[in-house]
Amino acid sequence: MKFTPELEIPGGCIKPLHYDDIDGLFELYKHPEIPGQRPLEDKEQLNRMIDYSVQMAATQRGMMWAIETEGQIKGMVSGFDWQPSNLRIVMRVDGLPSLTVEERAGALKAAIGFLSKKYHVRNFAYQWIEGQSDDIKVALSECGFTLAARLRDGWRTGNTEFSDVEQYHWVSSDDKPVPRKLGDDDELGQNLNANKRGES
Amino acid sequence: MSWNFETEHFLIRLPVSDEDGTALFKLLSQDSAVAHIPRLPMTVEAQALDELRRIAMRFETREAAFWLIERKSDGDVIARIGIQYINWMMLNAQLQWELSAECGLEELQEVLPVIVGYLSQDLHLHRLEMRLRTGSENHSNMLVELGFSREGTLPSQQEFEGEDIDLDVYSLLKGELKA
Repeated sequence: MKFTPELEIPGGCIKPLHYDDIDGLFELYKHPEIPGQRPLEDKEQLNRMIDYSVQMAATQRGMMWAIETEGQIKGMVSGFDWQPSNLRIVMRVDGLPSLTVEERAGALKAAIGFLSKKYHVRNFAYQWIEGQSDDIKVALSECGFTLAARLRDGWRTGNTEFSDVEQYHWVSSDDKPVPRKLGDDDELGQNLNANKRGES
Repeated sequence: MSWNFETEHFLIRLPVSDEDGTALFKLLSQDSAVAHIPRLPMTVEAQALDELRRIAMRFETREAAFWLIERKSDGDVIARIGIQYINWMMLNAQLQWELSAECGLEELQEVLPVIVGYLSQDLHLHRLEMRLRTGSENHSNMLVELGFSREGTLPSQQEFEGEDIDLDVYSLLKGELKA
């Protein structure tokens, strides 16, 4: 079953996590961007994360893509804390130092475009944590996000140390979906293969 | 470790599933007690019994804790105050209150220090957050009086009665409570 599509971005694509990409993903997790997050030491843990990424997408709890440009995994774009009935989700991009602002914004836009069109998600949040690069805020601005709140000490970085969190939002102005009669919709589980019968 | 407390005028206690249905229904059937969340008022007492059972299960797993504020003089429940979405890694939680007309700033200044003290000293929570429907002036004024800081407004957090609801965020860090 396939729930996470591969999507084009300038210079590359965002694509579902795959076991073949574990080395690239491991490199990414060795360079965490989030303050207080330790580099990953055990590559095997990524196998489980890839399993989770499929389960999360299938149950509409989240979606994860690898960002690939110039033939190299340079980051990940993810949606988590997905609340389908409230049509909202929190987005996150993790990148290697080589991931450019343009690539970051492109990946975010592609993921948001898909979630917006396919699942009618309207409200996208992004949490920037004090200590992260200001370049992330440039990418957010490029995608139309605006600052909604600064959550004091919202992120714990050590036993007694905390960082503020700036919460950004982008809310789509598209019309809300009109619910259809249950059973009339053949997009069961939003499985992308099932939606294209005869093509999968 | 006891989760039940007492002040001069109030018992601050965890609810009893089989006994507190009527009192909880009386409180949560008032629109003024739940409009700031926002939530619809309860319409039948069975909803209060369901809520008590849900809260008991959430407490068992330490996902949430809700206290009834019982006035000693007449046994009336004048408020429910609780925490939910407890993040034990980040040491924060969301505070929520439902207040009857008989619970104002003075009453909160008596009971909240006990609850907040327990949350920060015993449970080591560092940050308490409350989210209010934008425009809930009475509640936001009381929060500011109690030492909470307004942090911003989260847009379109839920749909309620056909309207997109924005929520104002207030927070209180360890040691900031004014009583």
